[in-house]
Amino acid sequence: MSQYRVPGRGRVDLSRPVDFTFDGRSYRGAQGDSVASALLANGVHLMGRSFKYHRPRGAIAAGSEEPNALIGTSRGAGRFEPNTRATMQEIWQGLETTSQNKFPSLKWDVGAVNDAAYMLFSAGFYYKTFMWPKSFWNKVYEPFIRAAAGLGTAPTEADPDQYASRYLHCDLLIVGAGPAGLAAARAAMAEGLRIVIVDENAEPGGSLLSEPQARIDGLPAWDWLDDELAALKAAGVRIMTRTTAIGYYHYNMLALCERVTDHLPSLPADTPRERMWRVRARQVVLAQGALEKPLVFHGNDRPGVMLAGAAQTYLNRYGVKVGNAPVVVTSHDSAWYAGFDLQEAGARVQAIVDTRPHVRDDLMDQARALGIPVRLSHTVTATSGRLRVSGVRVNPVSGAAVGAGQQITCDALLMSGGWTPSLHLFSHTQGKLAWDDDLTTFLPHETREACVIAGAGRGLWGIEAALTDGAARGREVAAALGHPGNPAAVSVENDRPGSGVSQKELPTDRNPGRAKAFVDYQNDVTAKDLRLAVREGMRSIEHVKRYTTNGMATDQGKMSNINGLNIAADALGRPAPQVGLTTFRPPYTPTTFGAFAGYQRGAHFEVTRKTPIDPWAEAHGAVFEPVGQWRRARYFPQPGEDMDTAVRRECRQTRESVGIFDASTLGKIEVVGPDAVTFMERMYTNPWAKLGVGRCRYGLLLGDDGYIRDDGVIGRMAEGRFHVTTTTGGAARVMNMMEDYLQTEWPDLDVWLTSTTEQWSTIALNGPNAAKLLAPLVEGVELTEDAFPHMACIECTVAGMPARLFRVSFTGEIGFEVNVPAPLGRKLWEILWDAGQQYGIVAYGTEAMHVLRAEKGYIIVGQDTDGTVTPYDAGMGWAVGKKKPDFVGKRGLARPDLAAKGRKQLVGLLTEDRSKLEEGAQIVFDPNQPIPMKMVGHVTSSYHSDAAGRPIALALVEGGHDRMGEVVHIPMPDRTIAAKITGTVFVDPENTRLKI
Amino acid sequence: MSMEISSLTPGVLVDTPAARVAVQPAAGRLSLRARKAALPALGAALGVSLPTRIGQRAAGGGIEAICLGPDEWTILTPADAVAGLLAAGAGVDHPHSLVDISARELTLRIQGPRAADLLTLACPRDIDTIPVGEGRRTVFDGATVVLWRDGENSFRMDIWNSFAPHLARLMGIGARELAAEPA
Amino acid sequence: MLLIHCPYCDETLPEAEFTYAGEAHVIRPPDPSALSDDDWQGFLFIRSNTRGPHYERWRHFHGCGRFFNAVRDTVSDRFLTTYPAGQPRPALETLTAASEDRK
Repeated sequence: MSQYRVPGRGRVDLSRPVDFTFDGRSYRGAQGDSVASALLANGVHLMGRSFKYHRPRGAIAAGSEEPNALIGTSRGAGRFEPNTRATMQEIWQGLETTSQNKFPSLKWDVGAVNDAAYMLFSAGFYYKTFMWPKSFWNKVYEPFIRAAAGLGTAPTEADPDQYASRYLHCDLLIVGAGPAGLAAARAAMAEGLRIVIVDENAEPGGSLLSEPQARIDGLPAWDWLDDELAALKAAGVRIMTRTTAIGYYHYNMLALCERVTDHLPSLPADTPRERMWRVRARQVVLAQGALEKPLVFHGNDRPGVMLAGAAQTYLNRYGVKVGNAPVVVTSHDSAWYAGFDLQEAGARVQAIVDTRPHVRDDLMDQARALGIPVRLSHTVTATSGRLRVSGVRVNPVSGAAVGAGQQITCDALLMSGGWTPSLHLFSHTQGKLAWDDDLTTFLPHETREACVIAGAGRGLWGIEAALTDGAARGREVAAALGHPGNPAAVSVENDRPGSGVSQKELPTDRNPGRAKAFVDYQNDVTAKDLRLAVREGMRSIEHVKRYTTNGMATDQGKMSNINGLNIAADALGRPAPQVGLTTFRPPYTPTTFGAFAGYQRGAHFEVTRKTPIDPWAEAHGAVFEPVGQWRRARYFPQPGEDMDTAVRRECRQTRESVGIFDASTLGKIEVVGPDAVTFMERMYTNPWAKLGVGRCRYGLLLGDDGYIRDDGVIGRMAEGRFHVTTTTGGAARVMNMMEDYLQTEWPDLDVWLTSTTEQWSTIALNGPNAAKLLAPLVEGVELTEDAFPHMACIECTVAGMPARLFRVSFTGEIGFEVNVPAPLGRKLWEILWDAGQQYGIVAYGTEAMHVLRAEKGYIIVGQDTDGTVTPYDAGMGWAVGKKKPDFVGKRGLARPDLAAKGRKQLVGLLTEDRSKLEEGAQIVFDPNQPIPMKMVGHVTSSYHSDAAGRPIALALVEGGHDRMGEVVHIPMPDRTIAAKITGTVFVDPENTRLKI
Repeated sequence: MSMEISSLTPGVLVDTPAARVAVQPAAGRLSLRARKAALPALGAALGVSLPTRIGQRAAGGGIEAICLGPDEWTILTPADAVAGLLAAGAGVDHPHSLVDISARELTLRIQGPRAADLLTLACPRDIDTIPVGEGRRTVFDGATVVLWRDGENSFRMDIWNSFAPHLARLMGIGARELAAEPA
Repeated sequence: MLLIHCPYCDETLPEAEFTYAGEAHVIRPPDPSALSDDDWQGFLFIRSNTRGPHYERWRHFHGCGRFFNAVRDTVSDRFLTTYPAGQPRPALETLTAASEDRK
């Protein structure tokens, strides 16, 4: 066993050794160790290099607030995790860890030249240095900064792990399983109440795990803890460990990130690595305790310098002495106990140095009894040692005078600048803080959330205070939940309440301008930087923060914020409460992207809706494209075909014989009721009253602003029943808009809307042979020009299936849309496919559909329109029922701007050089005008068209309808293309092909 | 279960000690819309007393009804009874809308000791507030669903066809994840 | 994520079931053609952009499907009340006390 492990102390299981590696070297720890505690047990303090100066650093804390000891952990390909806090990562057999920010090695690091150039890298360095010459930015400065920036190395492989998420609803969520949180649960628990306690550590207990000396209700603290946990579990209280409350959101919603497998030596099947819990609690108790503040003095970052409370945790929870000859320096009583515990564990404490002139008699007595030298009214002015602290220089202070320094040899320096309540989650609620003069810190004050703070989180120190306050807060929330709560009276022996004074940087006899007295360890911000920021004009604490980056590292200023505030306030000559605190934001600790993504990754990234015919398309080699939430077959390439070739073939065969197309994604709404026709009259531009049953019509839907929102063919199935179709992407939006008008503007109408998008599979047949193919399968109507003309619809039977048959065309060819109940869609498709073989039927996708409709000048809403296009702009004034007294958009169309000259209007474009234009390309009238040119429109659709014998395009052009035959210009990166403005119909303008 | 399923047929999707999820055989399903005044007549014609509190259910004569909105009900019926019900509805004089949505959606049955927990993977509402014997329309993993609670740990979930593969995939992941949890 | 009380379902439910639908009590004129351009522009485009209690509309999209009205404080993001579409604006004085009742 190493000389730093203390038998009989700690909760680690020394009978279960665990081997792991750090920077390739093997170490042995014990079951229950963190990486940090195991390394310290091996005498290793050097765990990393700092970000900016590459200074050697060790663990300064023992918990999640650790800023220095960031490591990479690895368990195979894709499972490398940078920036893991060594203080939180539990060891397991075979764990591989590496230090960061070093080259070539942690001990010999070339980046450490930055430390020698310290004076160059002070606050605002980047702003001052990388200013000029401007041309250096792209090639010199930015690459330099990028190379230097970034913490840790991101893995390049895909993450093979699964991540999970769950919702959890409870009556009471308690954050923190320390004495206050446990007491709150005990006081609040009642039959039927759902209570959850969450703690980020591997085991519940909080500060009790570091204070085994206490006796609670006559029991040793750890025995009491075991009993208490058993009682809570028996009462149904849920205790979640390794789970961090990362954010506190509106209406008592908290996000918890649970680390499920990072502590396990092997990965269990079907188990996510992390799970995000979205918790909604009726009441919340924040019992997160307090964070210890470092003292700010020259050399306070040397490995071996750490928080006194952390040293106490390493000793009492992990059974590790952080040094054999430590010195304690403090301004708070609590650190004295760390000295006492270490002395009792066999270390030789060299001195307890306290900045205060007077200290409680019992502490003085105990130090004397243990033989620990004490120095009051002293300051620390320097430390020595290269990769580990080896000495500390202390000086007496008398008033403002700092006396001569004296060197004390040591192998660890334990410091405490007092304690700050953990305010982060409370601050997420936009809760107000109140300054406490006695504690010289902010305390939680008011919040809108149903939330109370218990224990050290509101400035109460000691186990008894935490238990008493926790119980009181527990009863308070129980009352809010309508329960009486449970009485609790606790007695605590060997409690360690304490007090202290708050410090800015410690006084020194040396030039403070040369002191490397760190405030923010992770971002290498010193007291000097903060004072410089104020001297250079920063007045707001928010500006000081951004100029210096104090509190902006991944530890979110857990240790640095209050020290930074005290120093900035001193430099500003204003009291701290007037300077205020910067904002804490979620997440409380760094959280993986995987945890945020949860199940939404890979194949499950987002909802992908598929039609019943989708499997056929997939089996026939379709290439798909997303349209809204749907995936649709874009084209069906045959072997050796690219998209262009396939689409040309699909178009050609459709126009020559017959094509089959899956139109199931079209939105469908059944409009039913005696007032159906009134509703349709009001919603759509077109007139509907005279549309007979069994007829359909192209409908245009506007917003009340007069712009096109959607379109589709609408059939009248019965007097009071319309079959409305919408665009694929617009279905939900149109339904929402219709419901809005119906529910809130016209609630008197007796008409109801039902989405039938997914009731029907819709198969479109188009081409000269479409009727011939379909007719033998249809019962109930003759597919002749007289019996079933263009724009007719009927309920009939197709291939023995109940169907709604529409004679419509989106291609200019004879066209039908067959709707059958969705599960029958694939069967009908295959019947038509087989029957169509004699005609050389072709399956076409959305790309060919786009070409075929563009050849006829049919618009796609959202492609040829952009939300600022009126029916008149689109050349569709014919669809507007001008005689109707009102419809949605009628008044909008009369707005002066919509009737003005010079609006962008939809036209056709034919390029003079017969090249295909780029969709989205901008159009100008005069290609020779100076840059920036006046853009007068853009290309909305552009395709190769075999039917037109050349590339065709649709475009929105300023005043386009009055510019037929004029030439416009489309400047491209390599050339300018000239194109002639034409009408929008490129094929069969007389519609002769629609006739059977 | 294939990760590339694009349509679901009746049968068991996933079966673990935590939960069993199965696609139910096709059934008849109607969407009924009407004002309150029409309810007695419609109830008489359809053969079920229509509940009026949102989430409430009623059953009778082989059909089930759930109230989903102030003027909206879903009627479940054997597939071969749909035509008869549509005809019966057509005979009711009060304004209403009765639309066959049998082909629009499918039903998953979710059962097992962790069935309610399985729903917490992607349903943001508190499942505990849906009493046994009632139901709610809500959202699950981005899709609108109707949840019928038949028992403490027995649910039916109605989902539109096209969302089914997405939801089924998560059900599979979740049922296995819950089964793998240490007790 | 907010919690919203649906006045039709009489349940307080997570925001994920709802969609926002703009300012409330903006009523489409019965005869839009009778309006001047200025009045029509006011109806179409001009909204109050309130700091504080705001009358607004939500839809219980993944629930009963109904549009309804709400008063939400745009500073605190707390709902003061919700009520069915078509009901008159509740007076603000009556609301402040009720704001925290729905826990």
